[in-house]
Amino acid sequence: MAGLYIHIPFCKQACSYCDFYFVTQQKYKQEFVDELIREIYSHKDTRFTTDPIQTIYFGGGTPSLLTPAQTGSILEAIYSVFDVQAEEITLEMNPDDVTRDFLSGVKSAGIDRASMGVQSFDTDLLNFMHRAHTSGEALRCLELLQSSDFNVFTVDLIYGNPGQSLEVLEKDIETILQFDPPHISAYSLTVEPQTRLGKQVKLGRIVPPEDDKVARHFDLVVNKLKEAGIMQYEVSNYAKPGKEAIHNSNYWDHVNYLGLGPGAHSFWWEEDLKTAHRWSNKPDLRSYLKQEWEQPFEQETLNMQALAEERLMLGLRTRKGVASEELKSRYQFSFSEEQLQYIDRLSDEGKAIFDQNLRLTTKGLKIADTILLDILTK
Amino acid sequence: MNNIRNFCIIAHIDHGKSTLADRLLQKTGAISERDMKEQMLDDMDLERERGITIKSHAIRMDYKRPNGENYIFNLIDTPGHVDFAYEVSRALKACEGAILVVDAAQGIEAQTISNLYQAIEQNLEIIPVLNKIDLPGADPENIGQQIVDLIGCDYEDILHVSGKTGEGVDELLEEIVDKVPGPKREEDKPLRALIFDSIFNTYRGSIAYVRVMEGVLRKGDLFKFMSNLEEYYAEEIGYLKMKQEPTKELRAGEVGYVIGSVKSLQDVRVGDTITKVDNPAKEPIPGYQEAKPMVFSGIFPTDADDFEDLRAALEKLQLNDASLTYEPETSKALGFGFRAGFLGLLHMEIVQERLDREFDIDIITTVPNVQYEVELVEGDRIQVDNPSQMPAVGDIEAIYEPYIKASIITPADYIGPVMKLCQDRRGIYVNQLFMQNNRVEITYELPMAEVVFDFYDRLKSGTRGYASLDYEFIEYRKGDLVRLDILLNGDQVDALSSITHRDKAYHLGRKVCAKLKELIPQQQFEVAVQAAIGNRVIARDTVRAMRKDVTAKCYGGDISRKRKLLEKQKEGKKRMKQVGTVEIPQEAFLAVLSMDEDDR
Ligand SMILES: Nc1nc2c(ncn2[C@@H]2O[C@H](COP(=O)(O)OP(=O)(O)OP(=O)(O)O)[C@@H](O)[C@H]2O)c(=O)[nH]1
Ligand code: SF4
Ligand SMILES: [Mg+2]
Repeated sequence: MAGLYIHIPFCKQACSYCDFYFVTQQKYKQEFVDELIREIYSHKDTRFTTDPIQTIYFGGGTPSLLTPAQTGSILEAIYSVFDVQAEEITLEMNPDDVTRDFLSGVKSAGIDRASMGVQSFDTDLLNFMHRAHTSGEALRCLELLQSSDFNVFTVDLIYGNPGQSLEVLEKDIETILQFDPPHISAYSLTVEPQTRLGKQVKLGRIVPPEDDKVARHFDLVVNKLKEAGIMQYEVSNYAKPGKEAIHNSNYWDHVNYLGLGPGAHSFWWEEDLKTAHRWSNKPDLRSYLKQEWEQPFEQETLNMQALAEERLMLGLRTRKGVASEELKSRYQFSFSEEQLQYIDRLSDEGKAIFDQNLRLTTKGLKIADTILLDILTK
Repeated sequence: MNNIRNFCIIAHIDHGKSTLADRLLQKTGAISERDMKEQMLDDMDLERERGITIKSHAIRMDYKRPNGENYIFNLIDTPGHVDFAYEVSRALKACEGAILVVDAAQGIEAQTISNLYQAIEQNLEIIPVLNKIDLPGADPENIGQQIVDLIGCDYEDILHVSGKTGEGVDELLEEIVDKVPGPKREEDKPLRALIFDSIFNTYRGSIAYVRVMEGVLRKGDLFKFMSNLEEYYAEEIGYLKMKQEPTKELRAGEVGYVIGSVKSLQDVRVGDTITKVDNPAKEPIPGYQEAKPMVFSGIFPTDADDFEDLRAALEKLQLNDASLTYEPETSKALGFGFRAGFLGLLHMEIVQERLDREFDIDIITTVPNVQYEVELVEGDRIQVDNPSQMPAVGDIEAIYEPYIKASIITPADYIGPVMKLCQDRRGIYVNQLFMQNNRVEITYELPMAEVVFDFYDRLKSGTRGYASLDYEFIEYRKGDLVRLDILLNGDQVDALSSITHRDKAYHLGRKVCAKLKELIPQQQFEVAVQAAIGNRVIARDTVRAMRKDVTAKCYGGDISRKRKLLEKQKEGKKRMKQVGTVEIPQEAFLAVLSMDEDDR
């Protein structure tokens, strides 16, 4: 079983916080699609096509900048090269691209899950983030989505913005809930150094909110969504029971995936082998169009130790945690005396629960990075 | 005919001693054109990188006069920095003359004067040289007048030289022959050879550089050190040419090296006298002062496993650098390490850098301090070079701190800022002396502790780089001093204790707490940072508990980046030090150093 990630590297404009790979120049869309199809075909009859494909994910960039026909042609190529037994085919879209026709177009092209990049309904915040859509467009796209054939969808939200009050956040959440989404991804704003936001923070023009305040935002999101029956299952992901994202969850479980398109990452762990591989394409459209995807841009080999640590890193972000049984059988890893003592302390402090699985509580999840580092250095 | 000339080159920092030495080596053919490089004698990596001389370098040359006579020159190039003044003093002992180099653009500066006085005290013949006359800014007339005023020579006696272009160097060579007296050749007396330097060679052990004052030392002689009477055979002796050149004997007046029969010549002490076992001299050569450390700091391996390596490295460094002292120290915060003594901050910096570079040992150092004398209530007087070892307040009758006499030479325009700086540092004004060219020599008595930090930097920045500083220890004086402790969640951090004047303690305490608050990362619990004198807390700050620390996004493309970050964090965490339950980064131990002037 494996997943496919397709990176569509086009955006209308650069959001201030974003460090994904994209270009704002739309000229080479068709060339890109053609190249992507070539990359897909290059995998024909390789070891990657023997695993059935369980999920396909169109991310970006802004996949909704492709026409439904272009998306369809990509899917068609995928179907003819891979053994697709898809349970989930997601397309990320931005509100300003969404029309009734677009939705029905991508639906009939084979997309069955929509991921809507709303981020906020607050005009000031949308401006601050330099998003391309308006508050009105955000509302309208969700209305369209609700009345469309998509019954599986997810909405993105960003909280913890400088100056954002709890009230504004609460209003955003309530607005989303009106559309009864089965799934929500809510991210606290991250300041990446190579972004406009990052530079402004460095210059002192913008001061990121204090971590207590962000923690309060986080608690509000968790609680409000819980009241609506949408449960946190990962640091930034919430779903009604049974509606968790399969593709993304697979990343955290070390399921194999192949990434296609500029900047896309791949991970492959051949069963029973003691090492796994991760590699990526160069995040550069021009090189991509020159077939540089034939050679990996970066690659690494992960040994058991690294895989085990990575599994903890990923697993502790999820509510189900990591089973010690899995750590032992799949990763030949078990906790040391010191680690167990530390985990005991975490349990006493209400930050973790350790039964068959080690998992973090809401309190622990908020400082998951610290906890992970502590565990790995005990 | 007495055809030996032993002399050294002395000057203020950067006035061009080593460059001038290059020209002498070149003109006498001691070094071939092919092997020539700039500041040839500065052979340590650090010297070459920093462009300064750290250690004296002795070298022998053969000089053929234009009239055909042959001479032997033994030259010692000396460092100019105040930290290494003792290197100059030992070099002077081995010479009959000194070339006093003065930068023709800069003029007389603090070490020009202090080094000159040392040379005069040793009765050396002084050859005044105006150097860098090729510089557009050179002002030979006025600066020459300064020299005339200083040493009372005639203007005509001053040579005009450029170490860069070689101008005037031929005249200088002749002047050395004419003016520097040849050494006394008392070969019939019992052997007395002065050790003026020693170096350590991995294959050969310690090598003593000697000036034979009286008698003759032959290869194979049984000799002894007069300080401890240890006996060795002179396995090899020779001249200090660009390469060591073995010879059969070193006669009175000559300079050379001696390698003893035992490899681990721990006994070689600079300043000691070598004599022969049969027919020994009665008295050693008098009046040699040992270099005394002025500044102390803790040195700890970052990784506790490196302790033995650190010890071995310090041992090795000490073999080449007798002025470095160290003894084991244990800190609750930093573990096992050493308390080392240095001549000054530059010396400290250099030792730290060499440990890192030549021995590849990661170290943490604590904030430097001076040595205090503490009079106990019960009457004893003890020396304390480590703040954490300061006795309890109740046991102390009085604390004495070292004072120095600082002479600062500055253009008169900057008298104000210089005086303000000295005043702020608890200085006591002594006098000021106007010199040629609108310059002033200002003399202050200052607590050494106030100069140790960044006094020199402040002085430079307050005078646009024009002021120069020289200082010497004068005496210990009683001071109203207190020990300031730092506590984290109630646990005292021994390595952060400092000794300070009572009037400055509150301010310092507040600032250190604030700085630590900045440097200590948030932990899962709140951390109280306190400054205390005895049991009395005088300042407090709090590092709030970590409330949120989790990466927002972690999907397929984020994982390897996050794992790499994690690897880095793991490394960083390994370097953290633990005090009680609190983790503190290494930089915290130098927190006080990294504060601004106003902060202190
Ligand atoms: N223009 C000019 N520059 C010179 C001359 N002599 C030396 N310099 C420069 O002055 C700087 C210092 O020269 P050094 O020979 O290292 O000075 P020093 O007195 O040995 O310095 P320390 O040993 O550190 O006290 C270097 O940048 C030299 O290139 C000269 O005659 N003319
Ligand atoms: S639309 Fe998405 S990918 Fe494009 S800049 Fe904005 S956040 Fe980044
Ligand atoms: Mg020099």
